[in-house]
Amino acid sequence: MKNVIKFVFRLILGDYLEQFNIKLMMKRRDAISQIALLLGGAFTAPTLMAMDVRKGNTSIVAADFSLTDAQRQIVSAVAEHIIPRTSTPGAIDAGVPAFIEMMLKDCYKKPEHNSFLKGVNDLAKANFLAQPAAGQVAMLTLLEANTKDLMKSYSQKKIKVGDNVDKDTLEGANGVPFWRLMKELTLLGYYTSEKGIEASFVYEPVPGKFELITDMKPTQKSFVY
Amino acid sequence: MNLNIDAIKGQTFDAIVIGSGISGGWAAKELTEKGLKVAVLERGREIKHIEGYETANKNPWEFDHRGRPTNMAAEEYWAGMRTGYTANEEHRYLFENDKQNPYLEKRGGFDWTRAYHTGGKSLLWGRQTYRWNREDFLANEKEGVGTPWPIGYDDLAPWYSYVEKFAGISGQAEGLDVLPDSEFMPAMQMTAPETHFKNAVNKKLGRAVTVGRVAHLTNPGKQHTALGRSSCNYRNKCMRGCPYGAYFSSLSATLPAAMRTGRLTMVHNAIAAEIIYDEATQKAKGVRVIDQITNESKEYFAKIIFVNAGAIQSTSILMNSKSNRYQNGLGNDSDQLGRNIMDHHLGVGASATVEGFEKDYMFGNRPNGLYIPRFQNWGKDKRAYSRGFGYQGGASREGWGRGVGADGFGADFKESLTHPGQWTVGFGGFGEILPNPENRFVLSAQKDKWGLPVLEFSADFGQNELQMREDMMNEAATMLEAAGFKNINAYNKQDTHIGLGIHEMGTARMGTSVKNSIVNKHNQVHEVKNVFMTDGAAMASASCVNPSLTYMAMTARAADFAVNELKKKNL
Repeated sequence: MKNVIKFVFRLILGDYLEQFNIKLMMKRRDAISQIALLLGGAFTAPTLMAMDVRKGNTSIVAADFSLTDAQRQIVSAVAEHIIPRTSTPGAIDAGVPAFIEMMLKDCYKKPEHNSFLKGVNDLAKANFLAQPAAGQVAMLTLLEANTKDLMKSYSQKKIKVGDNVDKDTLEGANGVPFWRLMKELTLLGYYTSEKGIEASFVYEPVPGKFELITDMKPTQKSFVY
Repeated sequence: MNLNIDAIKGQTFDAIVIGSGISGGWAAKELTEKGLKVAVLERGREIKHIEGYETANKNPWEFDHRGRPTNMAAEEYWAGMRTGYTANEEHRYLFENDKQNPYLEKRGGFDWTRAYHTGGKSLLWGRQTYRWNREDFLANEKEGVGTPWPIGYDDLAPWYSYVEKFAGISGQAEGLDVLPDSEFMPAMQMTAPETHFKNAVNKKLGRAVTVGRVAHLTNPGKQHTALGRSSCNYRNKCMRGCPYGAYFSSLSATLPAAMRTGRLTMVHNAIAAEIIYDEATQKAKGVRVIDQITNESKEYFAKIIFVNAGAIQSTSILMNSKSNRYQNGLGNDSDQLGRNIMDHHLGVGASATVEGFEKDYMFGNRPNGLYIPRFQNWGKDKRAYSRGFGYQGGASREGWGRGVGADGFGADFKESLTHPGQWTVGFGGFGEILPNPENRFVLSAQKDKWGLPVLEFSADFGQNELQMREDMMNEAATMLEAAGFKNINAYNKQDTHIGLGIHEMGTARMGTSVKNSIVNKHNQVHEVKNVFMTDGAAMASASCVNPSLTYMAMTARAADFAVNELKKKNL
């Protein structure tokens, strides 16, 4: 428990100081989200997109990003807490930890690399992996509560950008917090994987018709297309 | 000597169509069906219908980044990234790399989406299909904005019907003056909260709501199945290319129709550099193209030329066509070439959550939503700005994505996300942009890799658009409120530019006189009568409805006129 309290304290104070420093050092940048049209645009997972890359502005080429084995263990454990193996496969079964690292490297930039690594390192310092399962859950619950406060500086909106196309935007000054990245990439990695889709939904790539259902049961699984 | 003559023979046709997109496909179909030998010059690569749709049947897990654009793609496709969807893994193969196809932005900004391949943007369009109304053609003259249209609704109405029957439009007849009905195939259904919304908005605010009118086959006839087209399968993966030919595109419909006449020659990788003007006959005699792979120059000759390269490109070809007579661009006596760029401004509207309807759900992924026709400045309604806007949107149940921002994790959380979530609803506006001669592009001194001038844009929203946007945001919220929806979130995105709607219009407008416009009421360049422009370039105003149907109707009408003129030996 002591570790947990210390961890939360560091989390709050640390983020406060970091935000202050970043504000001093960096101009505010506009972060725009991208769409995940994967499942047809009916909904999208909010995500931070690359900066609006204007011609000539090539200075923001992604830095290399990779995790150490110790960091990978933490990422795997957190992903498995978010989507555990139950009667159906979990995050690790669906290859989510490697997916997260690949996505961070290929699709995110320095601010998210920094916030993600900071989150992993905070958990390492708090001996996350040495905690019993209940302690780990308590830590992540607190982390989630803390992240909610951080996310208040982001405005999230669903915006219509074209015929039949919506996108969610997430706009904020700093890198998206670790927990938010973890959760988004875990859910994306799992619920769009072959194992995840098979275990979770009714997959209908060619529905062939559009029909209203008026007596849906609470047990109804989502259709994905 | 003989060789040269043979070469010229092989490159001589009755008609040349520059571009194979939504209007170029129509020009090819109409001209070949009327007996002309036609060459379509397409600047991009060849994509074959069905087999060329490389992502069409991929499963979600087969996209490395599950659809999302990588940092590398974001840099290469910097303009496409602004749309939020064109650079993703599903669709990127159908859009151009912006770094390799640069353009310049001077004032404001311009979001320019390009698609260089067989069928052009007809493979990628939103399929939303609406007729212009009577007032749309009259507003310029009544308000003294831009120049008057030399044609009216009645000139296009029979051609609207003609192209609608061939394309196949699904929609609901409503009998509204503001949104004239098309020739419809059965409409797609509204979901339960959408029907509730329609009734509430109609009862409380007196406004119409209809299901989107889309160029999807819902009950194909013989003329559709004869081309290998079949009914919509409700996958909503249209922008990857449709293996069923269910939505209208040049590839699924007009080009196969032209091909079966035996009179169509498709030429790919042929970038139209200029139209060759004959000073003696005062007509165009052909088109010089650059092969995009070999950089070789080649000339094609014809009696008539249809310029259907997409509004901006069509105009840039005329700009680049310089002769003694036209030193400032072909047909550009009015100095209007490149001016009055229009689009529909968007990124403004509102979303909300819907309580109840827990037992309502749907099977199938409808590639369509609802449409709210313009109600501003219509009838007795008067606003502080001129013209108006319509909305597109709809309601659906949330999927697993709701978990990203929600509290919780673990076994119960995992299980809960496998079921449909609550209903959410949202509408975004599509607003009319007024013609403004200062919104324009010019040929810059910079050259692209084919030695053609890089275009420089200078375009920005005016007071009328900015004022309208406030209203677009507020009215969307008002309607969601009228339906009793909760957590209303109204937005007015500031960092949008002209072009984001990918409805670029203007720059070679139709008008009454060579002094104020580029083409006449037959889409004929005023004093170069065998050159026709029938894509977005010819638009003298923008309306607020999606424009493709109007290009189709105009093209079919102009092709009919051109062939009659040829027969009369007037061209």
